[in-house]
Amino acid sequence: MTEEQKITVTIDGKEVSVDKDTTILSAANSIDIFIPTLCHSELVEPYSACRLCLVEIDNGRKKRLVTSCNYPIRKPITVKTKSERVKKHRKNILEMMLARWPNVKIIKDMAAFHGIKTPRYTSPLQDPQENACVLCGLCVRACEEDIWESALNFANRGPEREVMMGYGENIPQCEGCETCMSICPTHAIDMDKEDPNNPFDADLMRKAGMKLTREMVLLDDSQCRMRKVGTAHLTEIMDEYDLLPVQNYRFGSHTETKNIASDVFLKNYLTQGKPDGCWQGCTMACAKTADAFTLKTGPYKGDQVVVDGPEYETVGGCANMGIFDPEFVLEFNFYCDTYGLDTISTSTGMSFYMEMFEYGILNKERCGGLDLQFGNSDAALTFMHRMAAGDKDEFIQVASKGIRRVKDWLIKKGWGDKQIIEDCGMESKGLEYSEYVTKESLAQQGGYGMTLKGPQHDEAWLIFMDMVNNQIPTFQDKAEALHYFPMWRTWFGLNGLCKLPWNDVEPENNAETDEPAKVPGHVQNYVDYQNGMTGGNVDKEGLILQSERAYNWQRAMNVWMGRGTRNDDWIPYRSMGPVTKKEYESRKDRYDTQFVEQLGFTKQEVEKMSIEEKIQKLYEYRQNRYQKLMDAVYYRRGWTPNGIPTPQKMKQLGFSDKKMLSMLQKKIDQDQEKGLNSWGGIYGDDEQPPTDKDQYWLEW
Amino acid sequence: MNLKQLETIKQQSQKKFDSYKASLHVCTGTACVANHSFSLIETLKKELKKRDLEKEILIVPTGCNGFCEQGPIMVVQPDGIFYQKLNEKDIGDIIEQHLINGKPVKRLFYKHPTKKTPIEQMKDIPFFGKQQLLAMRHRGQIDPEQINDYIRMGGYQTAYNVLSKKKAEEVIQTVTKSGIRGRGGGGFPTGLKWNSCRDAVKKTGNIPYVICNADEGDPGCFADRSIIEADPHSVIEGLIIGAYAIGAHEGFVYIRKEYPLALKRLQKAIQQARDQNILGKNILETNFDFDITIHRGAGAFVCGESTALMASLEGKPGEPHAKYVHSTEQGYKNMPTVLNNVETWANVPLILQKGSDWFANIGTGDVTDNAWGGSTGTKVFSLVGDVRNTGLVEVPMGITLREIIYDIGGGIPKDKKFKGVQTGGPSGGVLPESKLDLPVDFDSLSDAGSMMGSGGMVVMDEDTCMVQLAKYFIDFLKEESCGKCTPCREGLTAMSEILAKISEGKGTDEDIALLEEYGETMKVASLCGLGQTAANPVLSTITYFRDEYEAHIKDKTCPAGQCKPLVTYIIDPEKCTGCTLCARNCPTNCITGEAKQVHRINQDECIKCGTCKTVCNFDAVEVN
Repeated sequence: MTEEQKITVTIDGKEVSVDKDTTILSAANSIDIFIPTLCHSELVEPYSACRLCLVEIDNGRKKRLVTSCNYPIRKPITVKTKSERVKKHRKNILEMMLARWPNVKIIKDMAAFHGIKTPRYTSPLQDPQENACVLCGLCVRACEEDIWESALNFANRGPEREVMMGYGENIPQCEGCETCMSICPTHAIDMDKEDPNNPFDADLMRKAGMKLTREMVLLDDSQCRMRKVGTAHLTEIMDEYDLLPVQNYRFGSHTETKNIASDVFLKNYLTQGKPDGCWQGCTMACAKTADAFTLKTGPYKGDQVVVDGPEYETVGGCANMGIFDPEFVLEFNFYCDTYGLDTISTSTGMSFYMEMFEYGILNKERCGGLDLQFGNSDAALTFMHRMAAGDKDEFIQVASKGIRRVKDWLIKKGWGDKQIIEDCGMESKGLEYSEYVTKESLAQQGGYGMTLKGPQHDEAWLIFMDMVNNQIPTFQDKAEALHYFPMWRTWFGLNGLCKLPWNDVEPENNAETDEPAKVPGHVQNYVDYQNGMTGGNVDKEGLILQSERAYNWQRAMNVWMGRGTRNDDWIPYRSMGPVTKKEYESRKDRYDTQFVEQLGFTKQEVEKMSIEEKIQKLYEYRQNRYQKLMDAVYYRRGWTPNGIPTPQKMKQLGFSDKKMLSMLQKKIDQDQEKGLNSWGGIYGDDEQPPTDKDQYWLEW
Repeated sequence: MNLKQLETIKQQSQKKFDSYKASLHVCTGTACVANHSFSLIETLKKELKKRDLEKEILIVPTGCNGFCEQGPIMVVQPDGIFYQKLNEKDIGDIIEQHLINGKPVKRLFYKHPTKKTPIEQMKDIPFFGKQQLLAMRHRGQIDPEQINDYIRMGGYQTAYNVLSKKKAEEVIQTVTKSGIRGRGGGGFPTGLKWNSCRDAVKKTGNIPYVICNADEGDPGCFADRSIIEADPHSVIEGLIIGAYAIGAHEGFVYIRKEYPLALKRLQKAIQQARDQNILGKNILETNFDFDITIHRGAGAFVCGESTALMASLEGKPGEPHAKYVHSTEQGYKNMPTVLNNVETWANVPLILQKGSDWFANIGTGDVTDNAWGGSTGTKVFSLVGDVRNTGLVEVPMGITLREIIYDIGGGIPKDKKFKGVQTGGPSGGVLPESKLDLPVDFDSLSDAGSMMGSGGMVVMDEDTCMVQLAKYFIDFLKEESCGKCTPCREGLTAMSEILAKISEGKGTDEDIALLEEYGETMKVASLCGLGQTAANPVLSTITYFRDEYEAHIKDKTCPAGQCKPLVTYIIDPEKCTGCTLCARNCPTNCITGEAKQVHRINQDECIKCGTCKTVCNFDAVEVN
């Protein structure tokens, strides 16, 4: 907006320069001039129904009264918000309101402020209730514009006008999101008495909810566009940052990504043009729907079906299989949903099989006649249909159980190099990786590896913090993040809540806070939520403590089951760095630079080395770096160097179960005998492990 | 369809028309239809057939003739003989005496209201004398259901000429220079409206819409309905020209569902126009596309307000919104939109045909440099109420109220005194006798506290109580207010309450001032035109009939004798013969008295129904 397009207006003698079409009300508010309103809220479009925001404008030719909430400034005008004329008519309007609603606080207060004691007539419509509906329409508009449901509307005309749901019945579009209750200035709206949740302090929860609603309405369009396209908006961003998995995580971007970018779905497939939430009250409503999609394969071939709009991970999984066809994405999505398959595990698994096919470790004969080349969408779908049909082919049987079983099967069959198979199959703890390339983010490698349940990104997503913004440069910083974020995200799971409202929209001032990555303003929402629900008095740290207790108990259970050690937090090398020559060569400049900047080689030395040599050197460097990260994380979490929660830590967290504590102690003692209680990383002269103390936990 | 084809159809139709010896123009406007004009036509057909006259005599079912009071009406052309209040049994006489023997049937003529002399020719009837027909230019001449009848009158030639020979800018300029202002109520210069729409289209590249507002909701107003019923093609032709001027390809007619006959004729007309390639793709052999969709309103008065109408058209509740950004910039579906009412659209082809100067010369003021400078052209009024000749009249702007009411309307029936005339529908003001010489134009009417509105004109005689009248219209508007904004919803409620109090004799000295104060607030603070004008009936009656309000408040009397709580029925002991008739008829048995003795009304139980006064044979019951 250039200076020329600014318009200067004078409001109550003060000049202010505003953009064209700014309303008088917001211009006045921007210079701290107060204009009374009843039906106005920044969360909904101006309505100009209450008429209290009347002001007098003078354009040089004539003076007239207009409502400031919706009068767009287009010319330099003089505005008076408190002229005699304005005051007279505003007072009359308030008098009419008071005659109708004599006991509604907001009306009483405003009337008193304007010097009205008793109305000069008795309204036949007088409603003596304190929480009477004042017909401001905020609820109706919030439901329509913010929730996009229109469960409420006005019924009848004139004095009979009232707010109701269709035909005065409870209609299914209302899911009880309470936005209407929250925005209502008079508490006129109530929920059915049978509210089963019976929260301790509903107002506190509503306040948190409205904070989020407000941000979604005002900020989402300029932030994540969750309401418009959902998580799929990430596809193009990931591609841009070289993080979109392409051909089994070998590459991070592709020229054809534009074919499956979010706008393609928005424009051509997402037919309903409105948000679709897991539940209808959700203002984020990131779920999307593609209607009337005609299937091309499988048992429902030719049928028109409704497909849930693809999430980012689904789209990313298709890129991972080298398929950049939006219609495949929808078909794949539909059949995964129909067969009860997870799109992530399915696509990551298929990507691995395709890579093995490329190397000849798998071939048509070995995989039931399937031509599993990267990009072969027909083969990918046929594989799914055969798997779902219970096909007895050996490969399909094994592959249906996931990457870990296929790895074991290939090794047992003696097909291919074991190292290549282990390094390329993107699973850890038997679970397939989700769809992010983690090679350049050590913290995210830890985020995937040092989890309890495998390499999903539910515990920690640190790529931007680490790689793009470089906010956690040291091992200690990364360890702190790998303590805080897994605990914090575990909290959502423990409470059965969605994570997206935490950081897929951020408060306007988030960047100015101490720890923007934690989105402290939104953590407070959850504090309020829990206190409002339970009547407790927990704080931010208290929430983390809740998770820490659950998290450590789960880790102890893992140990009890014979897992939960350093070995179990192993990750495949593909997630750390380039496994193959092709991969190295595709990002050669990057890796060569890292040899100089991080590994201490000279340019000449790097030039002399063969690719194989460089891959090997980088392999050793990055494996060791991961070990060092494990050291730092285990120390921060209060575990032994072998990843065992210490009885000391468990006691600090309030556990007193003797059986559990002695089991852990026994395991630690065994590790001591085997020499496993020492750090895993190899430290250089200028480096130090987290502590030099042997059995450091004994002091806790 | 091109000019040559239009000309051919015109000539062929004219030739066919001329081939008849006479034509019988039977009015089939709603009022005459209600008086069985359709069965009249059936009888005519039958009788003509019986006498083998079908080839010689043509029956033309026309739109509203205007003189609704006298329906059913039939005009015999080419002689111009006017028959009125016809009955089926009159048909035989007309055929035998007039059509066969050439002697018009005198007993069916209209009689001069005062001189009582029969008038043979329609043109000699005073009701038609001062009228000037522009919007209703084909009144009584054509069958509205035959497109060829419209073409016979030269119809669609203007549209053809405009589309194939004129630039859009020229069209707008002509309309602007004609000075025509919106006939729907606001009186906004039509040309300026079109021009700002075209500007918005140029600026944004958006495709605009044209809308015809046929949601005529004023009680007692039927101008738009009659125009559509009588000449639907004139509206269609106007819309085509308007669409071309602003670059619209889609038009809507928003018509009340309570207008079944108008709807039927409009549907038929649109279909006929499509069949002739006058609507549709590449219309009139040009590369211009335009078609019209009919949208039926559900009867809410407020939907006549343009923004509420557009909301309703979009499928939303019919509630208005602010016009700070004009509809010409963001209207229907947020696209630039030109909305005019039926009468305005019907005038458009004529303006383009005869030129802006011709139009601007009719009416008042000087619009040469300023489209707001006057009121040009004519205006159609629905003349109703306490007036002899009720009906539809079209008069040049600037004519006085007196001319309309007395010369055209024939004055007040039963020789009662004129009291007031309300113009502009329910939210118009009431003007007193002192304003009878006011020229009827947009600005004079609003200066006097009333308005042009969409052309309602209700005449009231001395028996009308102004407090009751104000309350009647306020209650109408209260019911019809959408209820969105406070001043309209609560202000009307307050006014209705206060007026009720006054009419019950419970008014206080402050009430008049409060009515005036609230009226002012409603005027300046309401959201839409409905609320902004809703106080007019109250404010204008207070201005011109303040003493009547004061009589109610101070003397607790109703000078017109209409406010029941303020009147008492008493029996004059001098006149009462004790016949017991009143006591026997009293529904509440509140009249006591022995036979042959003076009777008494028990005032506590009297419901003031007036039955006693009606039945008394000795004029013994008096109203105080």
